[in-house]
This record gives sequence, C-alpha cells and structure tokens, in this order.
Amino acid sequence: MALSRDEIMEKVREALVDALGVDEDEVVPTARIGPDLGAESIDYLDIVFRLEKAFNIKIPRGDLFPDNILTSEEFVQNKKLTEKGVAELRARMPHADLSKFEQNPNVDDIADLFTVNMIVGYVESKLSGAAA
Amino acid sequence: MRWIWIDKFIAFEHGRRAISIKNVSLAEEHVHDHFPGYPIHPPTLMIEGMAQTGGVLVGEAFDFREKVVLAKVTRAKFYCHVVPGDQIRLEANVIGEIRMEGALIEGRITRNGDLVAEIQMMFAHLDQSRAPLELGEDNFVFTEDFIRMLRMRQLNHLEPPSAEHGS
Amino acid sequence: MRFYLVDRILELQPPGRIVAVKSLSLAEEYLADHFPAYPVLPGVMMLEALVQTAAWLVRVQTDFEKSLVLLREAQNVRYGNFVRPGGQLVMEVEAIEIGAGVSRFKAVGQCDGQQAVQAKLTLEHFNIGDEDPLRANLDAGLRTLLRERFRLVRGPQALAAQARS
Repeated sequence: MALSRDEIMEKVREALVDALGVDEDEVVPTARIGPDLGAESIDYLDIVFRLEKAFNIKIPRGDLFPDNILTSEEFVQNKKLTEKGVAELRARMPHADLSKFEQNPNVDDIADLFTVNMIVGYVESKLSGAAA
Repeated sequence: MRWIWIDKFIAFEHGRRAISIKNVSLAEEHVHDHFPGYPIHPPTLMIEGMAQTGGVLVGEAFDFREKVVLAKVTRAKFYCHVVPGDQIRLEANVIGEIRMEGALIEGRITRNGDLVAEIQMMFAHLDQSRAPLELGEDNFVFTEDFIRMLRMRQLNHLEPPSAEHGS
Repeated sequence: MRFYLVDRILELQPPGRIVAVKSLSLAEEYLADHFPAYPVLPGVMMLEALVQTAAWLVRVQTDFEKSLVLLREAQNVRYGNFVRPGGQLVMEVEAIEIGAGVSRFKAVGQCDGQQAVQAKLTLEHFNIGDEDPLRANLDAGLRTLLRERFRLVRGPQALAAQARS
C-alpha cells in the first residue's frame, strides 16, 4: 500500500524530531538538515537508521547523503566541486535542487542541499521503486 | 574505582542483541557521594553501563579490532531510582544493522521487571570520527584486561536472548 | 575517586544561567581504564558535570529547598573533542524553566574553546522524606552539607561578582 507524500513527510518529520531534538514546527519542507536543524556528522547516520526502520527500506552508505564524493580528488579541487563532481552529485541526488549550488559549487555549501524535501523525495522514489 | 559499569553478560546474539547485569553495592565508592546517607546509583553511570553493553555488542561485530566509542545519546529517560542491593539488567538492541560508519542501539534497563530506563545511543569508530591526535595501533578501548574481565571471548557461547531473558 | 564533577563555579545568574568548571587530573584513578595509555574524560562524566552544574543553579534558585537533584532525562547528548588530563571542561548551562519538582536546561561543555559536549537536560528535585518518610530526618543534614559544598566551589563569590557587575 503506497504512502502518500504527506504520510511520508509525517514519518520523515518524526525521524528528524527524534534524531535532532528539534520541535515539530521547525521541520518545514525547505529546512536544511545541517544549517537549520542543527545536524552534526553523527546525526546523519542516526537519521539514516531511523528512516530505514520507519519505511522498511535499505539506505546504502552515501545514497542519501553522498559524503564520499567529498573525499575524492576527482570530484573536489580547492574546496570546490569539479564539473565531474557536480555531475556525480546530480546523479546521486536526483531529488536535490542543484540550480543555485552549481553556479558556485563550494564544498562548504553542500549542506544547503540536504533539505527535508530532498529526504522526502528520496524516500518516495525508494518506495515506488521498491519492487526492484 | 574501576571504569566498568556492568558485571557480566548473560545473553548475547552476534550483531543483534546483548544483555548484561550490574550489581549495585554499598561497597562502591561513588554512591556515598550521591548522596551522603541516601545512596542512589547515578543515572549517568547507568548510561555508561548501557554504553559498555552496546559497545561490546558493536565491537564484537568487528572482532574487537575497532575502537568503538560513544558518539551520541539521542535520549535517556529514567523512571525509578536504583539503590545498593539492587541488580539491574541492561539490554541493548541494534536498530537496523551495525555498519562501519557506526551503529544505533536501543537500550532498556530493568530491575526485577520494573522499567528503570530507556536509552538510545549511537556508536562510532574512533579513527573515523572525532579528531584524534596521536592514536597508536593498540586498541585501548578493548584491552586484553577488559576482554578477560568480562569474558568477552566467550560471548558467542552464551545463550542468545530468549523468552526467559525477558524482563 | 569522588563523584563530584564541578570544581568551581565561575558565573552564577539565577534563575537563568550558570558557568562552572571541571578540571581533569591524571590523579583520577578511573582514567587508567578510560583509556589505558590514552586517558580522556568519559562522555558520561561530561554529562554528569553538566547535570551537577545545572543542579547548583536549581539549588541556588530554590534556596536548597530539595536535598536531592537527579537527572530524569537527557536528550541529544552529542560529543565533540575529548578533554585530556590537565585540561578543563567549562560548562555553560541555561535554564529553560525551573519548577518546584522539575527543571529543564540547555547545556554546553567546551574545552580549549572547542565544543566537547552539548545536551538538553531534565532534572527532578525531591526530598528524601518524599520518597522514604522513615528517613526524612536526613534531609536537613544533607541540605547543610550541600550549602557547605556550595561555599567550597566558590558559589558565593560567583554570586557576589554577578551582583557587582
């Protein structure tokens, strides 16, 4: 039985409230997990485990939060993503809005891409592709 | 005072669940400061007991090769007071699975079936987490001493957690 | 080892704020186990230091009314840098609310300007007599002891300095 986007948002919100200790009303669709909701590095993994449990899905490392792009010289030079890096990011995060980011792809700004909306979109596509 | 806040493992299931017990005794120093005349086993030391129970569960998954440390306590809630003469049972369950990046543990502490605490915590491997400086090769988290004292090499000979281990 | 995790109160602004310090020394024996050859203040001891700091604020604010102050709930306790022997954990605790029997706080611990620990705390306060009427006589003595300890950790100086500023 497929979940509606609202139902997904509700469960994502619950996972973020539990993992980050924020209030429910702070978890708006455009909120950024890091800069707005205060997530630190260990929190990203906490969020992954909770989403896996809530939706009964498997989230392989780097699938939701592609941290491994940042450690590759092929993708990052002088604290900016290379063209290849941006392309890789786009492929790995089809639910993120890269339009602003790619104009000035600073590594430090990657956190802006991890929004509640991005997570909801990721879960949606995992659930609809679940048969695969 | 040794920094060991559990006494013994009573059940173990590789990668999934571990149960330990701790006796709280008037012979322990810290209860006489907390508080003088009215000893109560500190909630934070029960968090540590759960961290050690969960830490061994996570560490065993990698054969105690990694330095497993507590990275986060998502939530720890306490429901009653534990005093000398009590024995508490600490149960740690893995949520999802143990990964190289870390693990999420759901913990429950009981005393004679009464709920003492619910604790959720995350572990990470030291080399991959906080900025360590001059870490050597040795695993100072899981030392031979610690492994021997808690009989950690016999963990998989313990019964897996079952109904009779239920609180 | 003694289970006192606050060595000195630096600032005290009831009802809302307290800043205190825990100094870490190699003389603290449990460090031999945590960890051998790499001694660092255990995470839960950092948490206990935050709890005891918040507890002082409760006691001062309520004039030591309840003799026992205990952690009831901790949330989002996150750890950063380690505190090593010779170092100090500087705890800054802000009260969200302090009631008669329960209080809530936001707390942060730093070492050398770097974050070591942060947490949200809920404390409960009660008298021995509330839990065990037969031993209610212990409350008065415990209260006196705690007032003495408050003097020991330079609490009144912190209060006076705040009053002057």
